[in-house]
This record gives sequence, structure tokens and C-alpha cells, in this order.
Amino acid sequence: MSEKIIEKTRGLVKADFNFWVGLYMDKFYDSFEQKKIVANKCPQCGEVFVPPRKICGICNIKLPLDENWVQLSDTGTLVNYTRTQYKVTDRRARKSKGFTTLGMVKIDGSNSAIVYPLEVEFDDIEIGMKMKIKWVEKPKGEPSDIEGFVKV
Amino acid sequence: MDKVGIVGYNQVKLYSDANYGRYEMIFEAVRGAIDNAGLKKKDITTVISATNDYYDGRTISNCFTVEVGGGYLADESKVEMDGAHAMLYGMMRILSGNHKLAVIWGGSMPSCYPYHSTRLYETDPTWERPNGYVNDITASGFQMRAYMDKYNLQTEDIAKVAVKNRRNAAKNPLALDEAQNPDITTKDVLESEIYSDPVTELMVGQPCDGVAAVLLAPERQALKITDKPVWITGVGYNQETYYIGERELHTSNSMEASAKMAYGMANINDPVNEIDIAELHETCAHEELIFAESLGLAEKGKGPEISSEINGDLPINPSGGALGGNPPCAAGLIRVIEAVKQIRGEAGTYQVNGAKRAIASGQIGMCAQNNIVYVLEGGE
Repeated sequence: MSEKIIEKTRGLVKADFNFWVGLYMDKFYDSFEQKKIVANKCPQCGEVFVPPRKICGICNIKLPLDENWVQLSDTGTLVNYTRTQYKVTDRRARKSKGFTTLGMVKIDGSNSAIVYPLEVEFDDIEIGMKMKIKWVEKPKGEPSDIEGFVKV
Repeated sequence: MDKVGIVGYNQVKLYSDANYGRYEMIFEAVRGAIDNAGLKKKDITTVISATNDYYDGRTISNCFTVEVGGGYLADESKVEMDGAHAMLYGMMRILSGNHKLAVIWGGSMPSCYPYHSTRLYETDPTWERPNGYVNDITASGFQMRAYMDKYNLQTEDIAKVAVKNRRNAAKNPLALDEAQNPDITTKDVLESEIYSDPVTELMVGQPCDGVAAVLLAPERQALKITDKPVWITGVGYNQETYYIGERELHTSNSMEASAKMAYGMANINDPVNEIDIAELHETCAHEELIFAESLGLAEKGKGPEISSEINGDLPINPSGGALGGNPPCAAGLIRVIEAVKQIRGEAGTYQVNGAKRAIASGQIGMCAQNNIVYVLEGGE
């Protein structure tokens, strides 16, 4: 007589990482609490980065922490958009019933576009539209302080 | 540059859920390549593998693949990119003069892990990742829209590529069953569900289980091992910035730079007329057009006009491409294998007549952040 034993082991590996955002992103998120966008500018090539960064990849130089900061407005131009039912988390992807419309908006004064939800009817979207950040009521200094973009 | 020859290959049949273990699959691919070339384990001196710790669910994942990948008591390294990148390092090892046979293998089994979640781990944990708005799904939507918008193209232009590749895949017995669609139409593609607008589900190469292997040897050994060696006469590789909001998504600057490098090595000045077939690693249909343009196979925006059918002027992805099944870490290496098959006359019902010189590409990263392309020649 033989027995077939099948063992199923379900395990969840929990490995919490504590990422430090760094001094540059720290300043970025601090200004979120004021509902403002700060960026930094490479002294060599002049590129203005959102989010700000320590190294300019183009020039391969370090941007000094206490210099070259630029205050930007929270407006921008829509350069791209999409919509999807998929919601992806670090556990799984699932298809929800409704669509999330996302826009890639180039913040005025920089060459960087950031991706956030668009609060615009899908059929009314046009590339080139002027947009403005919709902040949450009480920003805490984190990525979700920006709720999305609205039409100007 | 000394000659490096591809002297053997093997690819497992692609499945959505292969129902066998990862290690068996790797062994099947690698052992099959060695056996097909009439070689033995003792001939292997170096192995380069391509997998991804997140896909494997274990770190330093190649410590477990030593035996199955032919690396037991041999020297072995892993590349966390595509098998096509692993082949670059294998090529360099052969060119160093220190090795007589390199085994290159790559692949993974998405049936065992949440593919899109693992792609999310590419994103910055301090900025984009908490929201999850930037992921491989939305990135493809942005890329397709950028391309169509820049050159005033229609979704039909993209759908036609999906139709071509899925019909080609129907001729390829190793392609994913679900992607073998001999009767598919552009209407079917356009009416399939939205993946990330304007990309629809049938425009996407489905991540699937698969492993592939390739064998490389220096010229002298290559000529002893096989009477149909395929020579790598050029290679180019390049990468762009991580931030998709700072890239030009309507084109592929890294592919263009890679092409320049590869063509320079292979002495190609007129790619349209000097290249017989192209196997390009396209995760979505629109990428094939973007890459073809960046490779100089058409002017910018004119990708849709290339006569790229199997019996066309410049066949692209006669095997079906990654739309015929996109096994992460293997799809680019499989493009190399498919190009090799064409040159050796082993492509069965999707054989392109007289193929002597081919290009094959692999990629990694959001919107193909990093590209690698090979020029392959043979068939004398």
C-alpha cells in the first residue's frame, strides 16, 4: 500500500524595509506640507529636476544640498495620459470595476513629468492641457499629498 | 573582433502554467541544447544565467541552479536582466580566450509569482511605489499614446502588428497556446478589453513560463561542433534614465544608440537592405514599431509601412515575437534563437527564404529602458 502525501506550505515572507528618503527628497516632502513644489537645478546643464535629486545623471555630478533649489508653481502641462482598471500593489494586481485615469504632467519650470490621477472626463482630455495640482486638505509630507491634477 | 559562434540552442515550449518545476525546466532547456549540439557536461567551462531574484522568490537564486544549469564545478555568473544580456557576457568570456564553450540560459515562471507586483519593485519606494500609479501596465499605455500622438498614427496601425505576430505564432509550435491565433483580425484586437488605454489585452505579450538556452564557442571550436555556426558579428547595448516622465517614449534612444554600435561593428550601413530578418523583443505590439524605427528599418513614424510579414520585404518577428509569449528573462534570448533558426534554415513553417543576416533584440526595464541588439550572420 502506498500513500501519497502532498504537503502544501503557505508562507508569507515579511521583510520590512525602512527606506530613508534622503536629504533631497526630505526637502521635497517638507514643501508638500506647504502645498508647494521645490526642485533643484544642475549647475552644469541647467536641468531642473522634479523630484529633486542628488546626482545629475546627464553630467554625472553631485548637486550641492544647499544650493540650486528652485521654487516651482504647482501647475503644469499634460504631456501624456492613460486609463486602466488594473490596480497594482506589492502583493498582486487586480482588475477593479472602474477606471483610474492617469496623467503625465510636466511641472512648469522643469523638464520632469510626474504621474498622478487626472480629475478630468476621459473624453475631455487633450495633450497640452494646462493642469494644476489638487492637494489633500492636510498634507503630511508624503507622495499621497498630491491627490491628482485638475484642469486650470 | 574575433569570431564568436552560436553552436546550439534549445527552448522549452511556453505555457501559461507549465505544471512542472523550475529546475526541471532549466535542465530541459540547457541539457537539450548540449545534447542537440552533440556535446557533454565536461565541455562546459562557463555558464551565464539570467533570472531575477523577485521572480525566483529567493535571493542569490543562481546558487540553486548550479546543477541544472550545467554549472556544477564550472564557473558561473548571473545577470539580473534578460538572457539576451547574459549572452553578451558569455560572448565577452569567449573573446577573453579563456573559454571554449559558454552556456547561456535565462527564464522564469510567472505562474509562480505575481508578475505585475514584482515589476512594481522596479519603481522608487520613496516616490512612485507607494501610489502604484507607475507600473508596467500603465507605462505601456503611456508609451503607446506617446508614439501614436507624436506621429499621428491610429490604433489600427498598432493592431495590425498584433495580428501579424499572433498569426505568426500560430506557425510556431513552441509559442504560447493562447497566443497562437491563426484567424485573428484587427477588429478582434481593437475590441479586446482595455489593458491601459490605448493598449488592449491582445496587443500585449503575455508573461508566461519559459526557459531558453544558447551555446557559444570561439571560431575554431564552433567549426568543429557544428557545420552551421551562426556568427555574432555585432552587438550594441545602451540604457536611458529610470524616470519615464523624463524620457522620449515615442522613440527608443537606447535602441538607437545600441543599433549604431552593433551596425558599426558589423559594417552595416544600409540596414533596410542589408538585413534579411529581425526578431525584436516587443512586450507590446507598439514597441515593435518603435524599435524598428530606432533600428533604422523605417523613418520615424513610418514603422507601420514596413512590409514585415513572413513573405514581406523585411520580415519582423516571423516567430510571433514576444506577443507569442513573453517569458521574463527568456524572451530576448528566444529572439536570438529564432534569428539563429532562420539563418540555419530550421524555422519550419515560418522560415524566411534566404535569411543570412539577422538582428535580434532583448530589453529590460519600464518602456524598454535598456536595450541590447545583436547582428547575426551565417548560412553560407
